[in-house]
Amino acid sequence: MAATTDTDHEEHTAAPGTPPPAGRRRGAGRLAALAVSFLGELLITAGLVLGLFVAYSLWWTNVVADRAADRQAERVRDTWAREAGPSGPGALDTKAGIGFLHVPAMGAGEVLVEKGTSSEILNDGVAGYYTDPVEATLPASGEKGNFSLAAHRDGHGAKFHDIHKIKKGDPIVFETKDTWYVYKVYGILPETSKYNVDVLAPVPEESGREEAGHYITLTTCTPVYTSRYRYVVWGELVRTEKVDGDRTPPKELG
Amino acid sequence: MYGWIWRHLPGNAWAKALVSLVLVVAVVYALFQYVFPWAEPLLPFNDVTVDNQ
Repeated sequence: MAATTDTDHEEHTAAPGTPPPAGRRRGAGRLAALAVSFLGELLITAGLVLGLFVAYSLWWTNVVADRAADRQAERVRDTWAREAGPSGPGALDTKAGIGFLHVPAMGAGEVLVEKGTSSEILNDGVAGYYTDPVEATLPASGEKGNFSLAAHRDGHGAKFHDIHKIKKGDPIVFETKDTWYVYKVYGILPETSKYNVDVLAPVPEESGREEAGHYITLTTCTPVYTSRYRYVVWGELVRTEKVDGDRTPPKELG
Repeated sequence: MYGWIWRHLPGNAWAKALVSLVLVVAVVYALFQYVFPWAEPLLPFNDVTVDNQ
């Protein structure tokens, strides 16, 4: 490649008005200059690619994920509406998405909840409930346990981006086809190891609770833009409300 | 490198500019569609779950 470039260069320098290239020293200098400019161009290229990667992570993945989440949420809403009787919604089914999470402290809007916390699931801009390493207890089962969820902090919809805005006492509402589950936040762990699976336990003792109950756990990564630690928010079921024909939200979401 | 590519593109300056633009778009597309989705899980920016691995 150096040879070709050299010839090219000579053609250029042979233009009228420029002195002809002379001497071995000039040739070696030119080779070094070529090498340096090639290295410089590589570095500029690397910088541009890294910049593009930032744009990809923080912007493009959100575009893609929000599109996917909207599509899936619409499908769930459609199914619910179709199966709803005149007196109210029909029985629960857990196919596709199982419901929507509403956290007013993280801003308006709803987060679709699906099964699993693999990146294929979460990258669609949804929250996933844990099946591994500790299986979540679904609120609709009626059993005591922990409804543990994860979602992205940045990129891919960034559904838990504002998790740090949740304070103790804030409501977390989970909406299924036929019930509103109203939780109240009672515990926050701003930083913990990613190996700390105890936070998902049916009775999350680190949150201060020692008896079985209906808990909800939100996990995501922290600090923002990295995954060094995990951020955990715990809530406890306060009450449930049947969904009426108009899907009137509970007063916590008013 | 870029100078070498420029000199080897066919046509006059306008044609070269047009082809360059197409090349840039193609490269960005390949990055967003294939390279970044492949690289992302290998980088420690987006792990949100707690697990024992």
